[in-house]
Amino acid sequence: MDDVIAIDGLAFRYPGAAEPTLKGVDLRIRRGDFTAVIGGNGSGKTTLCKAFNGLVPHFWSGEFEGRVDVDGIDTLDATVAALSHRVGYVYQDFGNQLVRPSVRDDVAFGPVNFGLADHRERSEAAMRLLGIDHLAKRYVWELSGGQQHLTALAGVLAMDPAVIVVDEPVAELDPARAEETYRMLKRVNEERGTTIVVIEHHAEFIARYARSVVLMSDGRVRWHLPVREALARRAELAVHGIPAPQIIAAAAELTPGAPVPLTVAEAAQCIRDAGLAPGPRPPQPEAPAPGPVIARLTGVTHGYKDVRGKVSTVLDAVDLAFREGERIALVGSNGAGKSTLLRLLTGLNVPRKGTVEVDGTDTRTVKPARLADRVCYLYQHPEQMFLNDSVRQEIAMFPEQRRRPDAAAVVDDVLERLRLTDFADRDGRTLSGGQQRRTTLGIGLAMAPALLLLDEPTASLDTATRNDVIAMLAALAERIRCVVVATHDMQLVAEWATRVLVLGEARVLADTTPAGLFDDAALCERVNLVPPQINVLGRELGIHPPPLSVAEFTAAFAPALAGGR
Amino acid sequence: MARRQRDVLSVEWVKLELLRTAYATRGGLFAGFDPRVVVGWYAVFAVAPWLTHNITVLAALFAVAAVAVALCRVGPLVLGLFAFGLVTETAYLFAVAWFFDGDLHTVAALVTLSLKLGVVALASMAAFVSLDPEKLSDALVSMKAPPLLSFGVSYGYRMLPIIMDEFHTIVDGHRLRSAPLERRGILAWRVPVHIGSTLVRSFYPMMLNTAKRTRTTVEALETRGFTFAGESAKGRDIRLAYLRLRMRDLALALVTVVLIAGAFIIGELAPVFARDF
Repeated sequence: MDDVIAIDGLAFRYPGAAEPTLKGVDLRIRRGDFTAVIGGNGSGKTTLCKAFNGLVPHFWSGEFEGRVDVDGIDTLDATVAALSHRVGYVYQDFGNQLVRPSVRDDVAFGPVNFGLADHRERSEAAMRLLGIDHLAKRYVWELSGGQQHLTALAGVLAMDPAVIVVDEPVAELDPARAEETYRMLKRVNEERGTTIVVIEHHAEFIARYARSVVLMSDGRVRWHLPVREALARRAELAVHGIPAPQIIAAAAELTPGAPVPLTVAEAAQCIRDAGLAPGPRPPQPEAPAPGPVIARLTGVTHGYKDVRGKVSTVLDAVDLAFREGERIALVGSNGAGKSTLLRLLTGLNVPRKGTVEVDGTDTRTVKPARLADRVCYLYQHPEQMFLNDSVRQEIAMFPEQRRRPDAAAVVDDVLERLRLTDFADRDGRTLSGGQQRRTTLGIGLAMAPALLLLDEPTASLDTATRNDVIAMLAALAERIRCVVVATHDMQLVAEWATRVLVLGEARVLADTTPAGLFDDAALCERVNLVPPQINVLGRELGIHPPPLSVAEFTAAFAPALAGGR
Repeated sequence: MARRQRDVLSVEWVKLELLRTAYATRGGLFAGFDPRVVVGWYAVFAVAPWLTHNITVLAALFAVAAVAVALCRVGPLVLGLFAFGLVTETAYLFAVAWFFDGDLHTVAALVTLSLKLGVVALASMAAFVSLDPEKLSDALVSMKAPPLLSFGVSYGYRMLPIIMDEFHTIVDGHRLRSAPLERRGILAWRVPVHIGSTLVRSFYPMMLNTAKRTRTTVEALETRGFTFAGESAKGRDIRLAYLRLRMRDLALALVTVVLIAGAFIIGELAPVFARDF
């Protein structure tokens, strides 16, 4: 067997850490494989992958035991530079991996540093393979997230390594871009025979692209199995924070014992083969009557000047009203104006034309700091909201500076409700992703706004933390009159929202409900939305309106199951 | 007063202006020349003013540098800062001279220094506004600057948009979450104090957020052979292969020499010295 990575008894402890991060790892990865490494936060996934390219133990020196062979070389004897011809690494925060000003220069950085005479051909070939050759002259900071990710990948690919490691591509990209990255990785894997290792939380991507799965937990490899076998172990995956894809969960309920489906088509076939057909869906509950208007946009036109002096129109003559009791999801591809709309509602920007009114106040007439008594805006990256030295200070900042009478009590209550009391005196920047997100929710809650705006609240969270945040958003409803979320996360839209606004082409393309959105395939296609798999499966099997959750899906089959067996 | 969208004199505008300046997006006189010659041109104008006390020579050099700035399409932000500096400096000189019982002599002596600094400032604006970071770092590498310096220059440019973004976000955070001013005070003295304290308080989070991002960068540099390139000459040769001196570069050098010589000749013919007053 030709193993490109062979690890025996690897143990590693970071200097100063009490516990070793890796404890006796044995692993073989075959040349040309497409492997997903999964496991909860802190299970040692990233450290393991950094052992492949020698960053562990050459860059991060610590206690290292065992043997790691990569492409026939013992990493302990080789330098990081020598290993970088064999292993490429694309980081989760890939933007910081780009070190040169322009795309072409950055892609060629590795080959040029190593003095490879064919550096030009290598970088051109890498850019062509990934379909970014038209971006060669652009500056890296001009690129969108997806383009930056492909640039980082091209820089790695130009070295023509035997193994490419990609750390959580979905975390910072919207699903359509992540899909693109996976398609490119598949192409690289097939055309060049490069071994691909991805660290991934999203079982849907694993099901569709990976061939084998490594489960890490507590510094050890639990198992390394072919993808179908791995995903069949649903209970074990759920324990490690990786719920199975919706279609697998649904198939397991309807056709227990059948082989695990990896795609929607397979799942549909599997259910049809079992002779199951959906019954009519129970009538949907009536939507509650809309409450009074909290915020209103009238004829709003806005845009920005770019670095070359051109004004782009992001929103063009938009009319909207946000009402009390609504949970609104703003969706649309990157650059469709979601963040612009949120910034206009905060008063940070005022529209070039038209008016924005919040709680009856024209945003032009007051400063954003005054408007903040009624509106709260939470950024996509929690770290960017941290202005103080501790979680308690962050949450107390607003009520204390405004001398709200019950400030101290409010802060304690918020810390308690969001389970932050234990971290109250720590610096927010040192917390985990989920804790940081809870802290920003706490900041919002302590401001007690009428209108709460959130930008991508579930991005870059693992599935368990994500569900936690969705539950918390639902719990906020009793305190806050209207919540608006800008998101790419269609599962969040399906499970949480009561109203969906689809932005695109500088307009509101649709103002509908989650069910209405996912029922309109043409619209989803037009704005690059990928509906949740369970919804696609439901549509495929003729359930109308298509279900928004696994529970709704299986409920539709209840009559068939009761009568059939 | 109703607020409206501002395209100039806002944080966004400062950000765009700095990017335009750093990345030479406006083109300009020196964009088409070999970067080594442009750096040389700058070096000459940075040194020449210090070799003379002759106000005529300095004025001539100042005029040449000013024309170069005009041809290089320097943006309004940098130019505005320079003009602001020049005007306040002049006002300050007269005030100081008058206060300390000085005469025209004192003013002239101080004007000499201002002119020297002005020439150097104008020349650096002209040179660096037309050089994009890649060219500048390549020029430094080819002139045998230490690799860390040349890389530092190019990475500094890379960091600029990141730092600006972090700064913008944090200032917006303060605008939203800190309490607004209740009273503006006499002559609105509280306003600058408020802005100043916000800026100071933004500094630590900004640097920390930026520093956290660089951890990945440092690892990436290691795996992408940056250290290796420091020890081997091959990469350097490949990187610099495109640098070639052409006729127009020689012409630029020649014109520079003629203009500098011209300035000194005019100074010889009609000298004005500070000590002659």
